[in-house]
Amino acid sequence: MTKSSNYKITLSAIGPLILLVIVIAFLLGPGTSFLEFGLILPEINIEQIDFVESEIQVIVRNTGTLDVNITVADINDRIQPAAIEPDNHLSKFETALVRIPYDWNEGQPYTVGLTTDDGTRFEKSVDAATLRLEPNIELLGYLGLIGFLIGIVPIMIGLLWFSFIQRLGSNKYRFFLAFTVGLLLFLAFDAIEEASKISQENLSEIFNGQLLIVTVTILSFLALFALGNSLVKKSQFSKISKPLAISLLIAIGIGFHNFGEGLAVGAAIALGHAALSTFLIVGFALHNTTEGFAIAAPMTRAKTMVFRLFCLGLIAGTPAIFGTWIGGFSYSPFATVVFLSIGAGAIFQVAVSIIQYIREENENTISNISILSGIGLGLIVMYFTSILI
Amino acid sequence: MILTSVALISTLYFVIPSVTDAALEPKTFLTHTGLAIQTTGDIIDPIGYTGDLLSLDPESYLRDFDYGTVSQLEDGTILREFTITARDDQVMEVSPGVFYNVWTFNGTVPGPTIRATEGDLVRVHFSNEGSKSHTMHFHGIHKAEMDGVFENVGPGGKFVYEFFAEPVGLHLYHCHVHPVEEHIAHGLYGAYIVDPKEGRAQADELVFVLNGLDTDFDGENNFYGANTVPFYYQHHPVEISTNELIRAYVVNILEFDPVNNFHLHGTLFHHFPAGTDTVPAGFNDMLTMSQGDREILEFEYKYPGLYMFHAHNTEFSEKGWVGSFLVQDSEKNYSDEI
Repeated sequence: MTKSSNYKITLSAIGPLILLVIVIAFLLGPGTSFLEFGLILPEINIEQIDFVESEIQVIVRNTGTLDVNITVADINDRIQPAAIEPDNHLSKFETALVRIPYDWNEGQPYTVGLTTDDGTRFEKSVDAATLRLEPNIELLGYLGLIGFLIGIVPIMIGLLWFSFIQRLGSNKYRFFLAFTVGLLLFLAFDAIEEASKISQENLSEIFNGQLLIVTVTILSFLALFALGNSLVKKSQFSKISKPLAISLLIAIGIGFHNFGEGLAVGAAIALGHAALSTFLIVGFALHNTTEGFAIAAPMTRAKTMVFRLFCLGLIAGTPAIFGTWIGGFSYSPFATVVFLSIGAGAIFQVAVSIIQYIREENENTISNISILSGIGLGLIVMYFTSILI
Repeated sequence: MILTSVALISTLYFVIPSVTDAALEPKTFLTHTGLAIQTTGDIIDPIGYTGDLLSLDPESYLRDFDYGTVSQLEDGTILREFTITARDDQVMEVSPGVFYNVWTFNGTVPGPTIRATEGDLVRVHFSNEGSKSHTMHFHGIHKAEMDGVFENVGPGGKFVYEFFAEPVGLHLYHCHVHPVEEHIAHGLYGAYIVDPKEGRAQADELVFVLNGLDTDFDGENNFYGANTVPFYYQHHPVEISTNELIRAYVVNILEFDPVNNFHLHGTLFHHFPAGTDTVPAGFNDMLTMSQGDREILEFEYKYPGLYMFHAHNTEFSEKGWVGSFLVQDSEKNYSDEI
């Protein structure tokens, strides 16, 4: 390619961009008034409500396009004197902490209202007030234990199916591999549903929650796809066997997923749904045993090494511990949605890799009754264990 | 991995509140229970507000009576002429930091307290400088064409209301253009007092128009108050004296809530429904009033001190309809003690 053709290509790429900038500058520039029709309303979103000693603390974000001032705070529609830090003026996207001194009662529902300078009141409710968890060693240990119980323990138990799968004939083996695909597909949809619920309940509309999930899920799928390809390619030239590469991929995908799950569980504990989370923990433990199974299945065709298996279990399970810590100490709906979506994309990718692997092992087809019924049964088992959560 | 770090960075960007000028002077404010709270940020507290930025002035409204321009007709009748202008374009700070489009008679909410003596001829030169039709509908006895209901006064229009001041009592006036609820809720109302010819006993006279503000138009009041500004008399107590007759003209023009009430601390009042009778209807510290109800209250304080008056419907009081009387020892009381 000559220099001048390079120059032409650059110009043809940048030209439209320059025009676009000019149009935007014209539309937003000073002296343009023809876009000033219609009414823009202020909008704020109460993102978080925390109950501390004799005080209710609220994080509010300006989710509209206008700057706003927060002028009045109320609890249960009764005006209260309050403080707002750093100040009561919120530019677009800015957040502030509203501190409302209030002798709240444990377990009671509360509605917090904030009024902007134009007199519009925005509110958010909490089902049951409970003291915000303060980070300390005891809580760190408690949350860590929960992460361990929902992440590592069930996965390790699931891995114990290893020797069972190892003894299966190739047809039955394919069935269980397909069963794993069913498990994973369910898990991915489960994560998307969870992310979508959180984005609806706790995420400002401005984040476009549903599209955020779609974007992150697909990005994560693509990233893991690239990683998976390079791993499998390497396995052809190195000691790593293909089944091990696939198991590693599954473990990484499930690790992302468990991080997101850990965030959700940590948040449930922090937000005081303690009874709910005991149940949640039992459910997750049962549910996640199947994850161990998924990791174990391809590995049975690799050289058996207990240590490797153990490491894969850790890769998949440990993120749950970090998840519960982060979710418990500083819950962020945005982070939870993002990580659940990363998990979903990763798991979709893993499911695809396993299907590819099955195809290669099965004369380039998956239309085999044991494979199809395996996938179906995997979904059904997951559905029934999900009812427990 | 790249994806994770992108996710983390964007999460941090959205999650961590932006930090601005640190190391500010901490400010202190008091809670309802007297707790002192310190903050480096701003205080949002309509109760502790002491600024004078509000364009509404409940302080002077309280004892401000408009007797009109007085002249005498040939037959000896007293003529009282009033000039009232309606507007609907003003945006006023109704509570600290809260701006609301008030519709006004003579630029304030409530409008001026129109006061005449029984039998006077009242002539109101009304002009509408608003963008919508408005009228003045007076309660009391008058001809049908002076009722301010069917003769809508359009933007830029004028109308002269003329009637004799009758009967004796505490009445009100308000805009009666449909939808009336909207015209009242925005502030088009005021008190109208007809004094008896022989006058009433000497007293410290106060006007309380009980009203509310639905600043977000959801059919529920965001703020309640006496004379519009929520919590105003809570932090600017009404100063009165012991052993002095206080006469309060209380008008309930609250929209959206069917019932309002008035509760007085530390003493009881005689009350006269619509102020039309000379015999009190009761001796009480509670008064329940429906929309458009008026009552004249007469009371005295025996002991000095700070006494609350407020809606006993505590929702209303905690949203602004609360105030205090600062009762000071009168000389009379002082000489009694000697």
